[in-house]
Amino acid sequence: MKLTKSSLRYSLLIALALIYISPIIFMLVTSFKTQSGATSYPPTWIPDPFTTQAYETILNPANDTPVFRWFLNSMFAATMHALLVVAIASLAAYPLARLKFKGKKLIQGLVVITLLVPPVILIIPSFNIVNDLGWLNNLIAIIVPTAAGAFGVFLMRQFFLSIPLELEEAARIDGANRWQIFTKIVLPLSKPGMATLGLLAFLSNWNDFLWPLFVLFDNSLKTLPAGLANLQGSNAVRYDLLMAGAVVASVPVLILFFFLQRFVVEGVARSGVKG
Amino acid sequence: MIETATQSSLARKKKKPDIVPWIFLAPYLALFSVFIAYPIGLGAWISLHAWDFTLPRRPFVGLGNYEKLFTPGSTTFEPFWQSMVNTGIFTIASTPLLLAIPLLVAMVMNQNFKGRNLFRAIYFAPYVLGVAVITILWRYLLDNNFGLMNYLLDLVGLPSDTAWLTSLPAVWVSLVGVTVWWTLGFNSVIYLAALQDIPKELYEAATVDGANGMQKFRHVTMPGLKPIFAYITLLTLIASANMFGQSYLMTQGGPGTATRTAIYQITETGLRNFKMGDASAMSFVLTFFLLLLSTVVFFGLREKKDAKS
Amino acid sequence: MRQQEGAKKKFTGLLALTAISAVALAGCTSGTDSEESAGTQSPTAEAVAIVLEYTGPAIELSYWNGFTGGDGPFMQSMVEEFNASHDNITIVNNTLPWGDMYSTLPTAVGAGEGPDVGAMHMDQLPTFAARGLIVPLDDLVVTLGLTSDDFTPEVWDATLYDAARVGIPLDVHSLAMYYNTEHFEKAGITAVPTNGAEFEAALIALQAAGYQNPFWMPNRWPSHLMTLSLTWQFGGSAWGADGSSADFASEAGVKALEWQRSIIDKGFSPNDVAGDSQYIAFKNGENSITWDGIWQINDLQGSEMPFGVAAIPMIGTEPGVWANAHNFFMTTQAAKDANKAQASKVFIAWMSEKSGDWAGSGMIPARDSVRTSGVLDGLPQGPVADQISAMRFLPAVPGIGGVQGATFEVAVSNGILGLEDIATALKAAQDQANALLEENRVQFGG
Repeated sequence: MKLTKSSLRYSLLIALALIYISPIIFMLVTSFKTQSGATSYPPTWIPDPFTTQAYETILNPANDTPVFRWFLNSMFAATMHALLVVAIASLAAYPLARLKFKGKKLIQGLVVITLLVPPVILIIPSFNIVNDLGWLNNLIAIIVPTAAGAFGVFLMRQFFLSIPLELEEAARIDGANRWQIFTKIVLPLSKPGMATLGLLAFLSNWNDFLWPLFVLFDNSLKTLPAGLANLQGSNAVRYDLLMAGAVVASVPVLILFFFLQRFVVEGVARSGVKG
Repeated sequence: MIETATQSSLARKKKKPDIVPWIFLAPYLALFSVFIAYPIGLGAWISLHAWDFTLPRRPFVGLGNYEKLFTPGSTTFEPFWQSMVNTGIFTIASTPLLLAIPLLVAMVMNQNFKGRNLFRAIYFAPYVLGVAVITILWRYLLDNNFGLMNYLLDLVGLPSDTAWLTSLPAVWVSLVGVTVWWTLGFNSVIYLAALQDIPKELYEAATVDGANGMQKFRHVTMPGLKPIFAYITLLTLIASANMFGQSYLMTQGGPGTATRTAIYQITETGLRNFKMGDASAMSFVLTFFLLLLSTVVFFGLREKKDAKS
Repeated sequence: MRQQEGAKKKFTGLLALTAISAVALAGCTSGTDSEESAGTQSPTAEAVAIVLEYTGPAIELSYWNGFTGGDGPFMQSMVEEFNASHDNITIVNNTLPWGDMYSTLPTAVGAGEGPDVGAMHMDQLPTFAARGLIVPLDDLVVTLGLTSDDFTPEVWDATLYDAARVGIPLDVHSLAMYYNTEHFEKAGITAVPTNGAEFEAALIALQAAGYQNPFWMPNRWPSHLMTLSLTWQFGGSAWGADGSSADFASEAGVKALEWQRSIIDKGFSPNDVAGDSQYIAFKNGENSITWDGIWQINDLQGSEMPFGVAAIPMIGTEPGVWANAHNFFMTTQAAKDANKAQASKVFIAWMSEKSGDWAGSGMIPARDSVRTSGVLDGLPQGPVADQISAMRFLPAVPGIGGVQGATFEVAVSNGILGLEDIATALKAAQDQANALLEENRVQFGG
């Protein structure tokens, strides 16, 4: 009985995995085809002739398709964004978890309201504000505006609440002030929470497409999604180039993912459970 | 409670008004004011004007932009409501699949077997690749003239000339299908974590009671998933209602404007044609519907939870 | 990014300004004479080069254009040639899809992050001039000796906004008919079809020779260009003469779109042809005839497939083909800096003088004198250039591009896909367009 159940499971999962792997393989294969090879019918799994012309074109600086640069921009923006989000959310969550002060209820209400605000309502006015700040065509416009998120505050608050109060009490008696308690006791114990939040913020910024599309103009500044969209717009039918571009965009990501996948996946998993 | 007593004794020790909390809150409040509170106000203000971003003249029109949105035959009525309908179609078509299929996958994976982490990583990989890579890839695979999809259909004898990206209703199948493919791993992972939190003893007890698979699912699994169900439902619904990338990159909102979603229409109007007054009004109307949706879902699921317990 | 600071810049700027004024004055006096008299010789390239010099500090200019097709590599090499021959000016080429360029230009220039110079279509000039993003180039027009006699009237008139010339025309480009010479040979077609009957006969012959779908009709780009052309051919016009009204649903317009749909109904084309895929199919030899812009010539030559180019046949009752023109412009961003302004003018002037070379990209030089000087001899677009009198242009009205995209293109797409009745679709689009035109008038003109 167990054998059949196990083999059934494996067959299902392998079938599904094929649905995930074969498109990626086809993408890789096509990136080594010629321009007409990529659009020939019937499609082939073995490039004939096998050529690196697509990569040469994409990686040629004269062609203004700096895919690797886009990758770096995305990495930079997403990392800075994640750090900013974790910092701001942690700072804001601490008083909400531990301190009594006048206006606390008001602030908590404010955070809840933020949770309810759909991002769409912010697009048009934010564009005007970012323009007035002189942040257009600058990665700072991708990093800062979305850093005040309610989700992060709630997440960190829950982590803080789960830390035994006695630890903070003891430090207080020893003469530590709030800042020292926060940085030396609370934060170190909240590493899982900060890691989860940072990861989610990173992923959300990494995947953000709409905002970078409209605020970044220079090809060399674009994040990966916006840059690839530009690549697609300029080469609508050059699928050899597009697949090569997609591969260059994917390889670094997949390598990172390979090393960090447990961390990433478990972080996402935790977000659901705690949230 | 001991906690409260300790806290109040701590609090009583302070004499001067406590500015420490406000120092902690300052960065958040600063960003909140500039990038959330102020924009909401500015957005409302913009929606009351005929506001073209590139021109200096921005005359006040009161509720004129909103009136236009509700007047059939105006320049914004048809495009906006068409896009709302499109958004609705996508949300209704994709959400059940995005909730059910990942759950099934998670259930199949809900046991310690060899290679589980590998499978989990494979299904999750598209999510880290990002919407642009995914849509470029699928645009290629779904091309009706030289795409792999039609070729494979041909091999198994099925109709192989469907225009997956340029004909209705196939284009919706494509958009929903690609979205499911893209986010299945993400949702599965969340489900998996929740499933693993359900104590094995409950299942064992149910088996002892003579329950079959279906009954175990209804009486052990489903209640066990209640905590994250609201979370994942809202997450998925909001994501679907905000869909932009897949439509923009794979179908350019086509054929015609049949897959142009509400967000697409708003950004097109406001950031491409620079008619920000109209776009802002549209975004407020969309926001109203999203809030309505969130409230209904939230309270709908909460009630069930309270009823069951 | 491209900032230069210091008093030194101001001094050099002043020097350059003096130089410009001197040049402009010199140009002015001789120019006024040539404006008056008809058919005067334009200055030689050498003369212009001497007169328009940039002697300021090393400068970088941002140049935006939408040459993403076959014309792209050619423009790139021209830019490289300019950079090589001008020590102190470096042009940074930024090519992006035309649609993207038009939508990001306003915000970019407004934020000071846009281009200094660029190329745009003639029908976009009024929109950007009305938005205060591009500046008059009258002094350059005079220096280059450009006069109305040297251009097709519509092309020349389109450069005028608010009594100032805001664009320097580079080229004229239209739809053309591409055909696979090998397929034609196999089907026994010896003469290129020139009217509707001959065209259909050719399609039937091609089908008989085994080419099942000889002519693909896309539902998106460049489909609406065909509709525009055919509407003119049937004696109508999609837009009123001065661009003040839309007339999509006229009898001629309906006939035009119905002809396009009939190509699919008669089995010459598959249904659901996505934008640009008819072009790939042509390159792959999957179809035999395609209508596309002459900007594809360069790309086709690179692909080494056996093709010929001809004017599109006269399906209607009179000759007519959609055409547009690329113009050079300078932005307000560049105009603020004397050095940038001067360097930009040097670049634009150089490009204008090289418009004959630009013909190598498949384009047709805008200046009559250059076009008829023999540069097009032996080039594929020659036969198309001969039909220049049949070329029709969109009226130059602010915002017209956006209106057409939002209304006309959608109706054409739905009509070709058979999603909507053609007359109904065109009428709805027409009403929508007229409403938008009215809004634009209030917004831009009032």
